[in-house]
Amino acid sequence: MSFLRLHDVCAGYGQADILRGVSLELEAGTVTCVIGPNGAGKSTVLRVLSGLLKPRVGTVEFAGDPVGGLSPAVLLRKGIVHVPQERSLFPLMTIWDNLLMGGHSLRDGALARRRAGEIAERFPLIEERRHERAGTLSGGQQKLIEIARALMLDPRLILLDEPTMGLDAKARHAVFETVKSLNEGGRTILLVEQNARLGLSVSHVGAVMDMGVVRLVDEASKLLGDPRVAALYLGGNPDTRANGGAARAQG
Amino acid sequence: MQTFVQAVILGVLTGGLYALMASGLTLVFGIMRVINVAQGAFVILAAYLSYSLFGHLGLDPFLSILLLMPAMFVAGVLTQLVFVRSLRGEHASEMSLLVTWALALGIEGLLSIGYKTTVRATNTGYANKSWTLGSYRFSEPRVYGFAASVVILLGLYSLLRFTRFGRSIRAVVQNPTSARLLGVNERLVSALGFGIGAATAAAAGALYGIVYPFNPGSHYDLISRLLSIIVLGGLGSVGGAVLAAMLLGVTESVVAVEYSPTWASMSFFAILILVLLVRPQGFFGLRERVL
Ligand SMILES: Nc1ncnc2c1ncn2[C@@H]1O[C@H](COP(=O)(O)OP(=O)(O)OP(=O)(O)O)[C@@H](O)[C@H]1O
Ligand SMILES: [Mg+2]
Repeated sequence: MSFLRLHDVCAGYGQADILRGVSLELEAGTVTCVIGPNGAGKSTVLRVLSGLLKPRVGTVEFAGDPVGGLSPAVLLRKGIVHVPQERSLFPLMTIWDNLLMGGHSLRDGALARRRAGEIAERFPLIEERRHERAGTLSGGQQKLIEIARALMLDPRLILLDEPTMGLDAKARHAVFETVKSLNEGGRTILLVEQNARLGLSVSHVGAVMDMGVVRLVDEASKLLGDPRVAALYLGGNPDTRANGGAARAQG
Repeated sequence: MQTFVQAVILGVLTGGLYALMASGLTLVFGIMRVINVAQGAFVILAAYLSYSLFGHLGLDPFLSILLLMPAMFVAGVLTQLVFVRSLRGEHASEMSLLVTWALALGIEGLLSIGYKTTVRATNTGYANKSWTLGSYRFSEPRVYGFAASVVILLGLYSLLRFTRFGRSIRAVVQNPTSARLLGVNERLVSALGFGIGAATAAAAGALYGIVYPFNPGSHYDLISRLLSIIVLGGLGSVGGAVLAAMLLGVTESVVAVEYSPTWASMSFFAILILVLLVRPQGFFGLRERVL
């Protein structure tokens, strides 16, 4: 039984469906990277999974339970947390308050503060600048805090939507290192990445989306070498670019 | 100099009252992107209720605040649930303007029937008393009213700043989607937020009735000032609204004394327009274009 399973999910924002029968399965403890062109529906899949958008038809199962159409608050309690593509910190709140907001549904203030303290130990940035407003941080720093905040409820599934968008190489590296260490801690991660090479290089599984459906699912390493994928989504010669991508990921 | 300082004192005392009314209005906007144009009518309604409580039961307006705030909080929550919440979709903001304006006219109509349109004032024993400090005069009801406004605003500030609920309000104001993703119940925050807005109007109304004469149509003038204040302060910013209200109070008062009362209300609008030319989002506006 898979940890997360979408079957024939259709969803949209108004008249037309954006997702037109999405099926995807995730194994527990893996990192899965969704790639695909702009407008393919990658973010929309994550919105369905976190409850921002209700699927019109189709089933979503998480750890064996049907979860399609539940609210974000309920899904959060079940262990699914979503770090959206857009900036999602509260810019006028302190970094510390942002972190505490991640534990909003704990209701117990003392517990939330203790969790925040534990997380702060892992992210030096939080310790250093906890009383500063989140809006004063750089884009890369904000992304790290967003990810740190997502850990407040000790989630089992983390949905990360283009976490490296607009970041420089160093910040990108920091984000991917965090992703790796979260996964090593046993968490399942669904990652959307515009930079397909980079995303696949930190993932176990890759899924290619286009026009509202998942076209192809395979081991990430195989997708990286797949000439069809390369031609469609990676651009240019797979070998040279793959090395370039890996080098950048480490640099 | 003497008259100038006296005018500033009066302006600050007046500004505090406007700050109270405007804080609730801008908070509701921040949470829901809805401008409750009935806020002025809420204030006048509370002024009448406090007037009646004083007239019939001899209840001091400052004590009636303790009754009116919870009562209008509940009325505000119900208003949000019944009238505002159902508005959805693309034109929700425009529709809510119409709905709350209709509400304002409805309140005005009921007050006109209940109290006629004669001008009233809550004539407490201290209504015309004042203290003198050096060569300056402090009107007692205005000082009490200012003090009460400050206390209530500090309460609001503490609620927003130090409580879990207040933090979730700030979260919805600053990023509604993000707040939802973290499990904040936006509907609950909206309903309670509207209630808080009405409660500030309730307190302000009781205080307004001691200081100013009013009739059912007084809300037109009030809401136009309140709208200018919250736009100048930056829509959604409580701190900005307080600052702008103080500026309104002091500007009007100083211009009235130093130049002429005819120019007083005009002067604030002139400042408003000048500031908006340079900073369209007002003092502390969150988003560039909201209206
Ligand atoms: N809130 C919305 N309302 C209406 N249409 C939307 C909304 N959000 C996205 N869409 C449309 O849905 C389609 C898929 O959007 P989605 O954000 O899921 O794409 P994506 O694969 O994440 O693209 P990108 O790589 O640009 O982030 C797009 O055509 C987009 O215009
Ligand atoms: Mg996207």
